[in-house]
Amino acid sequence: MLTESILVGLVALGATFEWFLGTSLISRPIILGPIIGLLFGDLQTGIILGATLELVFLGSISIGAAIPPDVISGSILATAFAIKSGQGTEVALTLALPIATLMLVIKNALFVFVYPLWIRLADRYAENGDVKGVEFTHLAAGFFTGSVPMFLFVTISYYLGSGVMEQFLNTIPEFVKTGLQIATGMLPALGFAVLMTMILSKNVVSFYFLGFILSAYLKLPILAIAVIAGIIVHVIVSNPLRISMKGGNDDEF
Amino acid sequence: MMNSNSRLDTKDLQRVFLRSFTLEWSWNYERMGSMGFAYAMAPIINKLYSKKEDRVKALQRHLEFFNTTPHVSTLIMGVATALEEKNSSEENFDAKTISNIKISLMGPLAGLGDSIFWGTIRIIATGVGTSLALQGNILGPILFLLIFNIPHVILRYYLMMEGYKVGTQLLGDFEKKGIMDSITYGAAVLGLTIVGAMTADMVYINTGVTFGVGEFSSTLQSVLDGIMPKLLPLGATFGIYALLRKNVPVLYILLGITVIGILGSYFGILVP
Repeated sequence: MLTESILVGLVALGATFEWFLGTSLISRPIILGPIIGLLFGDLQTGIILGATLELVFLGSISIGAAIPPDVISGSILATAFAIKSGQGTEVALTLALPIATLMLVIKNALFVFVYPLWIRLADRYAENGDVKGVEFTHLAAGFFTGSVPMFLFVTISYYLGSGVMEQFLNTIPEFVKTGLQIATGMLPALGFAVLMTMILSKNVVSFYFLGFILSAYLKLPILAIAVIAGIIVHVIVSNPLRISMKGGNDDEF
Repeated sequence: MMNSNSRLDTKDLQRVFLRSFTLEWSWNYERMGSMGFAYAMAPIINKLYSKKEDRVKALQRHLEFFNTTPHVSTLIMGVATALEEKNSSEENFDAKTISNIKISLMGPLAGLGDSIFWGTIRIIATGVGTSLALQGNILGPILFLLIFNIPHVILRYYLMMEGYKVGTQLLGDFEKKGIMDSITYGAAVLGLTIVGAMTADMVYINTGVTFGVGEFSSTLQSVLDGIMPKLLPLGATFGIYALLRKNVPVLYILLGITVIGILGSYFGILVP
């Protein structure tokens, strides 16, 4: 049982390498299904379950109550439970649902509490001009904050079973789960603010609001907004009466 | 294809291409693909800059927020490579232009890349793959990967080379008077416009506060939306910007975001 759990966990670890290998879709259920099938000696069922789950996650068919929010742990455990118990996809998905929900909570916690520390570490290496340090931080962040938690979580979940994980999920207060979700929604504001300290200058600041208004009020796609900005630039640049357009000088806003 | 006076060769571009595959490895909500971008540019930074202060600045500008469709990200890396090469050889090159051009390109490119890869090629791959796999055919998952990744890898490579060429041509007329000013200005305008648009598009803050009773009850969110949609994301971004300007440590800001998220959720002030 322990060996089996670790093997299932290793499949999950391998799946996270999707983001090391060009976001190449190797972590999709249609790929993970057959791998789990092979592991449990039933490739055929694994292929079919993988395809079924692929359509579930794509939203094109619905089975059971809801779609598990984390694709990797959800599809690996659903396939494993289905083959192991011989029960249908619906039962397996229902078992995988609380586990995949818990994984999403853990991921959000990692996004809020751990990734920012890696970012600060990379910044510190950058301050010293340490290229190797920045490279290391990128590689370590993905492995220790993405792959390792996924491995541990899937291994433990498979070992303890769905019931125990559901109980654990229920002990986390609802407001903490939503609170973390709300915080991840706010985090990009910090990314943009840091960016603005680099590029904002007095003579172009109005264009920030132009982009904001075009997106917030008119809901224009970014491509359309870029074209509009491009036209404005062209009009200004080709105007023979232009006075000064030093764009990127150090005027502080 | 390279300039005779170029300090970079095809091998350097291929290195960036290979490293571009890891763009989303350390993806996160704060700066998204920033570390991945810096990782991809590292060989270029190593080769072009020998002075420490130059490396510091290059690393810092590539550790800024970055997000686009990963499969086409090499276009921006190619352009950035050409700009870095120019920056390393021209005394009066404004390095802010590099950041601005990156930002100007990432949003529009994501619009195109998402519809090509997520909206089209992936749907075709899924259609072909699942129809075979549902019959238990192992060709299903294999074709799924091939249909998606053959165009993906070809385009990823082509865009790296093409991006570098475009970037080099863009700056070919550097010596011509006024051209560089126009590019610097244009990049600043485009970059900032895109950041404004992304603030409205990618920052999510909603309030759940309601007031009044029965028929007359109303939500604070609808009142705020009446004033200006996405007012809270705008306020939060500028609030954080002001804190950064006052040199408030980023870790305090992060802690603040977490506390506000959890307390806001507890009291029902904020909703996802």
